[in-house]
Amino acid sequence: MAVSVKKPSTFAQFKTLLIKDLQREFRTKDMLSSMAIYALLVLVVYGAALSQTGRQFDILQMSGGLLWALIVFTSLLGLNRSFSYEKEDGCLEGILLVPLDRSVVFLSKACSNLIFLLAVEVLILPLFFFFFLTTTTPAPTWPMMLLPLFVGTIGIAGIGTLLSTITVNTRGKDVMLAVLFIPLIFPLLFACVSATTVVVAGGDIEGIFRNSVLMAAGYDLVMVLLSWVLYDFVVSA
Amino acid sequence: MNSVLQEIYSTILPSMPFIIGAYVLVWVALFVYVIFAMRRFKTVESQLALVERTMNDRVMNDRQ
Amino acid sequence: MEDMRKSKHPIGGLADKLALPALTLGTVLTALAFLLAFTVASPVMGAKVNGVELIGDEMIGNQILLSQKIFYFHMPVAVTSMVVLAGTAFFAIRFLMTRDALYDLKAKICTELALVFVICTMITGDLWTRFEWGVWWTWEPRLTTYLILTLMVIAYFILRAAVDEPERRATFASVFSIIMFIDVPISFMITRLIPSSVHPVILRTDSGLSPDMLAPMLCALFGFSLISYGLYRFRTRTEIIGQRVDVLKEALDNKLGN
Repeated sequence: MAVSVKKPSTFAQFKTLLIKDLQREFRTKDMLSSMAIYALLVLVVYGAALSQTGRQFDILQMSGGLLWALIVFTSLLGLNRSFSYEKEDGCLEGILLVPLDRSVVFLSKACSNLIFLLAVEVLILPLFFFFFLTTTTPAPTWPMMLLPLFVGTIGIAGIGTLLSTITVNTRGKDVMLAVLFIPLIFPLLFACVSATTVVVAGGDIEGIFRNSVLMAAGYDLVMVLLSWVLYDFVVSA
Repeated sequence: MNSVLQEIYSTILPSMPFIIGAYVLVWVALFVYVIFAMRRFKTVESQLALVERTMNDRVMNDRQ
Repeated sequence: MEDMRKSKHPIGGLADKLALPALTLGTVLTALAFLLAFTVASPVMGAKVNGVELIGDEMIGNQILLSQKIFYFHMPVAVTSMVVLAGTAFFAIRFLMTRDALYDLKAKICTELALVFVICTMITGDLWTRFEWGVWWTWEPRLTTYLILTLMVIAYFILRAAVDEPERRATFASVFSIIMFIDVPISFMITRLIPSSVHPVILRTDSGLSPDMLAPMLCALFGFSLISYGLYRFRTRTEIIGQRVDVLKEALDNKLGN
């Protein structure tokens, strides 16, 4: 008598892969802690960089840019490590042996990266406020900054997952990821910095904020879709 | 030339070096690429000559 | 070379016979555009001056700008670089569909050409900015987008150099070039539509093109397109011959080894 096994649904596959990543991280907290410490160190570097600015310096105008630069650098670190784990333990080959649609791997990896990045941002944001924004008062609309933060992180996670899959197989992994990632992410960065600055420093909220967030969302849609479609080629290589 | 005419033409001389420079640099960039292409071609040709020579040597050796 | 004419990637056929004439014609056309830009096209007016003078048969009340002449090379070169990048994306998609290594080769050559034209665009754009606004660099949409594009094309070559296996290298390069091609219009739109508070978007005053301005620009456009076509065929032919020589070498090595 043949043994029949019901093939698990796509959503179940996705959930399993996602839970695997999250469980590993919660057990060791390795990546989260290193990303958080790295962010803290970058903030310290900012402190040195801005130490000569004096009273007339409008930190509110620069805060959006500084925050997003911090997020980009921390994401580069996180994306690299998240994929190198798969490579180290041969986990990726194991996953590829399972007859599943490769885009499920993309979705689960991108989601886990997104969750990690958001978690680190939850830690970074108060730190940033603590170090740089206690001397001035941000405009009352500042909680709206969470929206571009979320939208931007989705874009970073999506493209970053695809690119880190490519670069984990090359020589010079970390630099390679930065070289590929930063030019591609530039439009998203531009839109998000604009949106964040406008709500923190005050300004024409309706027009600029809405435009910027829409642009960022548009970027996300196109790029994440593209990454999803192209992921199969990349991970099978 | 009266002063108005002078003012009308005032930006031309200072900008001349940049304009000519821009055009020349475009040509130079294309030229550099053409040189690169020619060098690749010469490399391929020399590889072909090498193969031919080796084949000839082998044929000679076979005949002996 | 007869068999190569019928293969899927023909060389030595009609396309290649056209290459050399295309190259010469292209060069002639761009030289013609250069001459036309100075003789035929009417000058662009800059800031107002006090008083009006009669020059030729018009009343001129503004400074005459010579710097705009760079435009006749700047825009054709920019357009050509985008067309060449479209070629790269096209060959990349064909490679991913068919896994034919020659498509990857053609994509690489197209990207080389794109690099050349993007650098030309950066040079002309930067010199234009230097003259017209007096600064060597400004974060305006066009220059920024082209800087990002330059970085992406360089990243393409760095990626190719960093992967050793041919098939993997081709796959990664193709995927990256597709993303690159889609990212450029997005980048262009976003930097244009979102005003940056520090550097206002500098709107060019040459938006209206009069017919006599069209002549040198179209001349240069066709000229550069033909030049890029000629160079593309030349490089492709060289590389394909190189591959055939490599195959011969390997066969010879194997035979001699026995």
